[in-house]
Amino acid sequence: MKNAMPLQSACKEFEEDLVLYYYGETSEDERRRIGRHLFGCLRCQGFLGDLQRLLPQMARTEELPQSFWDNYYRETVAKLAQQDERKHWWRSLIPQMKIWIVPAFGTVAMTVLVIGLLFGKGNLSSFTLRPAEKIPHEILADENQLQFFESMDLLESLSKLQSQDEQKPEAVNTQSSRMRFQSGTV
Amino acid sequence: MTNPEELRDEQLVELCRQGERHYFDVLVRRYMEKAFRIAFDFTRNTETAKDLSQDAFLRAFANIKQFDGRSSFYTWFYRIVVNLCLDHARRQQRVGWESLDRITEEPGEHRELADSTFAPDQQAIASEAKRRVDQTLETMPNKQRTAFLLRNHQGLSIADVAKVMKTTEGTVRVYLHRAVAALRQSLLELV
Repeated sequence: MKNAMPLQSACKEFEEDLVLYYYGETSEDERRRIGRHLFGCLRCQGFLGDLQRLLPQMARTEELPQSFWDNYYRETVAKLAQQDERKHWWRSLIPQMKIWIVPAFGTVAMTVLVIGLLFGKGNLSSFTLRPAEKIPHEILADENQLQFFESMDLLESLSKLQSQDEQKPEAVNTQSSRMRFQSGTV
Repeated sequence: MTNPEELRDEQLVELCRQGERHYFDVLVRRYMEKAFRIAFDFTRNTETAKDLSQDAFLRAFANIKQFDGRSSFYTWFYRIVVNLCLDHARRQQRVGWESLDRITEEPGEHRELADSTFAPDQQAIASEAKRRVDQTLETMPNKQRTAFLLRNHQGLSIADVAKVMKTTEGTVRVYLHRAVAALRQSLLELV
């Protein structure tokens, strides 16, 4: 870009091809076709020349000292190690846990047992489930059905009593005639 | 015992996937310069480029088990770098403009272009050309800019750029041509 000059324009139909031609991204056939055109076209020659002059300069970057890269590498590796440690932080606890996990577990178990004996007064039934909780679901369903039938029987009995009350006079007559029949007076 | 530096990317990745973390350090050494250059092309800031490219390595390592090997490691990794740069550009759009303004106010930033052997007017033109190129790249649509930077600055083939951008080669050709046309336009005005 030292000789910053305006780019020359190319033939419209060759402009995109020339960009790809510059980057070496054309097929062999396309390359020959563009080559033939370039041979007789000063505008496209100028355009390609500008690309060859300017595009590499745009890509040019400042060289960095080796110390920068050494430092970069060290930092990145350290960050990776930190990330890895954070990811597996629980692994560092395992060796420490190995030392005190058995006594700790024993202490907790003993504490639970003592509390159980003190407050439960040896009555282990308080730790057992209530009978209702122990009944399997299928049986509970049957029990519900049983209660349903019992209720139905009760309702039936009530309706019978009610109907008997309504027909009481008739029933009394019927009963007296039955008594007479049994005594042989009829 | 094979020297880790001689192992191919895919072999190193496989070892990392098996829990051999230190093999990733070889990949860092292999790609740190390219990763930094990509990030620098996008951000034009050394510290930011360093942070973003290092972050890309951290992400790549954290997701190494998701790398399915269908593409090459470097296209997969470049994609991570580019995505981080684009995310950063979106977040820092306003700041980016402020930085650009600062650069334009500081001719010293263009010292690599403004050679002392040239006359002051030529240096001024070179400096202005550089500023226009940077500004055009800054304001260019992200996809055009990505295609241009990966092809022109990083030297990736159009096929690889397409893999990084997860698009077709034809689309990359169009992006590339548009980017060059936009840069050309910015320089055409410099008369």
